[in-house]
Amino acid sequence: MTETHPARPVLERFVLGDLPRDEMRQVSQHLLAGCSECRQITASLWERAAPPPIVEEIVEAEDAAERGACGEAIDRIFRVILAREAEVARERAQGRELFDELMRHPPARQQMMVANSARFRSRMLCEILLEQAHEAGFREPARATELARLGVGIADRLADRLAERSGQEGGEGLQGLRARAWAQLGNALRINSDHDGSDQAFETATELLDPARVAPHEIARVLDFEASLRRDQRRFAEATRLMDRVIAIYRKLGQRGLLGRSLQQKSLICGESGDSEGEIALLRRALELLNPEEEPRAFLSARHNLISALCESGRPREAFALLFHTRPLYLRQGDRLHLLRLRWLEGAVSRGLQRYEQAAVAFREVREAFLELGVDYDAALASLDLAEVYAAQGRTADVRRLANEMLEVFRSRKIHREAMSALNFLQRAASAERAELVLVREVGSFFRKARNQPDLQFTPTS
Amino acid sequence: MSALDHPQTEDILEDFLKRVRPRIRGLFLRYRIPIQDTEDILQQALLALLYHRDSIRDPEAWLVGTLRNKCLLYWRNHRRKLYDSVDATVLDLVAEPVAPDQEDADLRRDLTTAIEQLPERCRSILSLRYRHGYSPAEMSVFLGSSQGSISKMTNRCLAALTRRLVASGLLRSSGEP
Repeated sequence: MTETHPARPVLERFVLGDLPRDEMRQVSQHLLAGCSECRQITASLWERAAPPPIVEEIVEAEDAAERGACGEAIDRIFRVILAREAEVARERAQGRELFDELMRHPPARQQMMVANSARFRSRMLCEILLEQAHEAGFREPARATELARLGVGIADRLADRLAERSGQEGGEGLQGLRARAWAQLGNALRINSDHDGSDQAFETATELLDPARVAPHEIARVLDFEASLRRDQRRFAEATRLMDRVIAIYRKLGQRGLLGRSLQQKSLICGESGDSEGEIALLRRALELLNPEEEPRAFLSARHNLISALCESGRPREAFALLFHTRPLYLRQGDRLHLLRLRWLEGAVSRGLQRYEQAAVAFREVREAFLELGVDYDAALASLDLAEVYAAQGRTADVRRLANEMLEVFRSRKIHREAMSALNFLQRAASAERAELVLVREVGSFFRKARNQPDLQFTPTS
Repeated sequence: MSALDHPQTEDILEDFLKRVRPRIRGLFLRYRIPIQDTEDILQQALLALLYHRDSIRDPEAWLVGTLRNKCLLYWRNHRRKLYDSVDATVLDLVAEPVAPDQEDADLRRDLTTAIEQLPERCRSILSLRYRHGYSPAEMSVFLGSSQGSISKMTNRCLAALTRRLVASGLLRSSGEP
């Protein structure tokens, strides 16, 4: 055994792994040789550095000085943050002004401005662009990609600037911002059905996800977006694993609303992979966590999905009862799209209850409205719902007429190739009076799955 | 709805900080984070809260959860460094010339004893690594596991060896990892 014992500060640094390599080796050898005196010290240091996982309650530290120093450090940082608050508010206001200025220019020029002008390298501008890209994803998918690209451009440049100044790759905040920007771009590309581009963007985003430098809520955000891509790619096991990580993070952060939304996201994976009972259970849990006053859109969306899942799993009476209680929420939202979704759901519930005339009226209304709005894919889906009602009633002539109409209307519209070939198949079967209920359902189900996967092949089994 | 869900003024943030102070202090004392690092961790978390306050619903739960995560990561990173150092030390030791002096021979014997007190799975992995000089890729072929799971297992075994070295001595035996 080495004769001299390492000093206590050396042992402290050893336990933290902070000693130079040679000294690490010397201390390791000393301990390995079984020095009980030093082991006693390192054992106590090790225990200090390994608190039990339960926290929260105020603990009595070993000495009052430690408690005092900790309190002083916290107060020092509180003062720094209070002083910084006004600055962050100013940055936010400036970010909004920069956003408005940027949006006054055409998209190509916006990219140039972000690339060439240091004025636009603002963290808050980037945050606003990412928020706007997310919102645009629901209405204008192509715009969502442009906005997310602007966000990526700014986040990367901010990180480069910091690296030039400090030699670091980016502080915690910036690395998280970059990861989220790339994930937002990946999500926008996914919505635009560019799965390869989306994959590449997520590769960059996940490379940036170093837990030591990215806050947990930012990690959750990136994983949540990636799960949506994996779901669209029908890589359900991966999507589920990602959502489980997201759920664990939000649970630890006590974010009930986000936890509810994540459960809702996970329910979509269950639904698409054919686990309707899992889907229903997750939606019920999500609804317990979502606050209808604070998050009316998310709450309504979860209710909508639950009613739809109940219908599809052959429980139309339950769906009917829930729809009755949910109708006021749709009416409160008030916009045309929400009202159309309500009417569509009413059609589906009526069909489940075998009230075919009511269902047909609802689906016809929805179909016409979507055609008028130019929402082609939903118009095609509503048409298929209507065809299913006709097929269930044995109205083969109506199925044939509808199939011909659908082919005619959607040929000139934005319906992807595989979906068109499914419609072609249905039309040929209808012309030969062979379009039975099972085939119509099959085409409808294919359309739903293929919505975000234009590469999915239609292979009829019936 | 909490204070930070509203448009903020300085006094609202101040109230919020006053309210969460005891929990934050308790958390840092519990995790025994050194003062300098306490300041860094807290400042990063509070800045993130300032930047994301619009999207955070329950700021107190968010802040406590984020800080707890940071404290755990803090110790995990330090532990990681220690495991790596112990690993490098042992690899240096076993890589030395064939005829070691008496002291090194004693050390090797001590190392063997330490490894022998670990669970069976760790004994195989560490002995492949230290006695036979297998790389993780070679171990994965030899043990029929994926390289990823061998790496994870090796890390756990290194952690167990380090714990034994630093904390519990050679005499105590437990069911880890």
